[in-house]
Amino acid sequence: MNQDVDKEQELALLRAVARMNAKVLGLVLGLLFGIVIFVATNWLVLKGEQPDRNGHLVLGPHLALLGQFFIGYKVTLLGSLIGFAYAFVVGAATGWLIALIYNRVAGMRG
Amino acid sequence: MTKKADGRMVVIIGAGPAGLTAAYQLCKLEISSVVLEKDTVVGGIARTVRHEGCYFDIGGHRFFTKVKVVEDLWREILAEEDFLKRGRLSRIYYNKKFFDYPLRPSNALLGLGLVNSFLILASYFYAYLFPIPNEKTFEEWVSNRFGRRFYRTFFKTYTEKVWGIPCSKLSSHWAAQRIRGLSLKRALKAALLPKAHVEKKDIIRTLIDSFHYPKRGPGMMWEKAAEIIQKKGSTLHMNCGVRRIIWDKSRVTAVEVLREDRVERIEATHFISSMPLRELVEKLDPAPPEGVCNAAARLSYRDFLTVGLVLTKANLFPDNWIYIHDPQVKVGRIQNFKNWSPYMVSDPKKTCLGLEYFCFEGDDLWSTPDDALIHLAKTELESLGLGRSADVESGAVVRMPKAYPVYDTGYGEALQIVRDFLIQLENLYPVGRNGMHKYNNQDHSMLTAMLAVDNINGGKFNIWAVNEEQEYQEQKSIDEAEAAKIQALSETQPQVPTLVSDGDVPLALIRKAFSRLDELGLAVAFAVIGGLYVLLPTLWIVARDMKVAEFQLLSQYFVGYDVSGRGAFVGMCYGSGLGFLLGWFTAFLRNSLLRMYLYLTRLIEEVQSLEEP
Repeated sequence: MNQDVDKEQELALLRAVARMNAKVLGLVLGLLFGIVIFVATNWLVLKGEQPDRNGHLVLGPHLALLGQFFIGYKVTLLGSLIGFAYAFVVGAATGWLIALIYNRVAGMRG
Repeated sequence: MTKKADGRMVVIIGAGPAGLTAAYQLCKLEISSVVLEKDTVVGGIARTVRHEGCYFDIGGHRFFTKVKVVEDLWREILAEEDFLKRGRLSRIYYNKKFFDYPLRPSNALLGLGLVNSFLILASYFYAYLFPIPNEKTFEEWVSNRFGRRFYRTFFKTYTEKVWGIPCSKLSSHWAAQRIRGLSLKRALKAALLPKAHVEKKDIIRTLIDSFHYPKRGPGMMWEKAAEIIQKKGSTLHMNCGVRRIIWDKSRVTAVEVLREDRVERIEATHFISSMPLRELVEKLDPAPPEGVCNAAARLSYRDFLTVGLVLTKANLFPDNWIYIHDPQVKVGRIQNFKNWSPYMVSDPKKTCLGLEYFCFEGDDLWSTPDDALIHLAKTELESLGLGRSADVESGAVVRMPKAYPVYDTGYGEALQIVRDFLIQLENLYPVGRNGMHKYNNQDHSMLTAMLAVDNINGGKFNIWAVNEEQEYQEQKSIDEAEAAKIQALSETQPQVPTLVSDGDVPLALIRKAFSRLDELGLAVAFAVIGGLYVLLPTLWIVARDMKVAEFQLLSQYFVGYDVSGRGAFVGMCYGSGLGFLLGWFTAFLRNSLLRMYLYLTRLIEEVQSLEEP
């Protein structure tokens, strides 16, 4: 009898489909995105200006492009904090949306 | 001998752990008994043999049990100071290397080398993907769980040495009894709660890695028990073989014994038998129906001999015993009794070893003269590199017939026929290892005897059902106390200590942690995100009329994409497609790895739970 119960539980476990916690995933991705921007920005700040192809000294020209989307963001210490905030919002929205859509689809499939 | 006022009088056949336990319990109830032992020493296979001041066990008998009544009985018989708490070390010797026992996969794989390990893992996955259907034999059972190559390395040689028959003829029941079945749920719990897992392991390790042991071996316990029961009025006849067991209708009425060259008839109201089941049926008079006799004759046993060697070396190896998987030698296991207890040797500068050979009564090995066996043992000890022949001071041979009931293919059916017949003899109680043809440890044997005595005193235990507790528990007739006792008894099987606590992790929590990701669900979610990640920035750039040349680079991968309103939607399609693939693959990879991890966890748990033959 116990073996049957074990088997049943095992089958139930193997059949079970995970559900995502939207808040948790949002928070995790928000922090992840935020930290990436924060660290990447400050890394460039610490390295200082570097010469580009034309010999001009520039500070993180590619990362600075983020400023096109994250208004107010710059490759500076303050910019890293602003970038963290923007990236956190984007990450959180991404995580929340992924979890929401995933749960809906998984739910529809039973 | 005196009968109790109500006339109850019990004959006990065999003075091993089961027989003496029965007598001991009967003494407590003030019911006299006569114990009949055909040998010259008590203890059965749990005896201890003396040779030139050294002590040898027949096998090794650790004293650990989860059953309190048995533990209590041990403490009643022997004083606390007579017990030692001993650490355990036992290893496997294979291919000139030592492997941990119980097996640890990491240690086993490292010891076997890279190529072998790879082949073992490949063989495991092959067995997992293509298991042998309807597994019936030991070989099939083990191969299905651990892979054929691992089976051949760590199971086949030793098992065949022990049982003397090919693994393809051994019933899978035996393997199932020796390897703790581990449900996926338990593996998940272990994986989910690493801390609890460690604690659980500690408990198992405590049981496996240390044990109690009487100072001078288990024989000390049974000699003391024999002394106590005689003091309390029971009779113990040594050298007293049973010739006939006389029965009539549904009761045994008497036994006929040969004692001091005289045939005697002993009548009693109840009979407890720990004699081998096959012999029991043979001795029944009148003979049972032919089908029962044939079934009993079908039951077979494995015999065993120990060559005890006394060596003039203080230390040889640290193990209590070593399993010899090496096919080049006949020895199956080597006991180092000094490591069981320092009191097992008369002189601390000496060591006594027991080289154990598994054989059949009457075969070449069994019939080999003692001197030749001692010579063989010395030669093999030296060839294994575990001791020098020149250091052997003396030796002795002990032969133990019917040491193990054999679980070959078809034994179950034969045993059922015999059981069905014996159950009709209402005052006959088969107990113990050979008495029930069950490969039990000492504590389990003792408990069957305790239950038999309870039955004599009015209990209604079905002693045969103790290892089939599931079905037994379903019977409505048993009360709670009875069920608890049966449960306690059944917990002694299998003999590897099982979990004391299974933890309190609810199934729902496990499901949350280990359930699979829905591939389509994640694919769709990633597709939406992927699409938005291209669409929104592109539209943002277009709306603000910005010049972000770098974004145009996407067109190198997304053919047809550009930073425009139309391009934004083209990019969204690309982004969605890529996200879909990424999401699906992520879920697939995560599910596959998780499943692999869980099965490996289960495999490792099962390998570690393996009990020695």
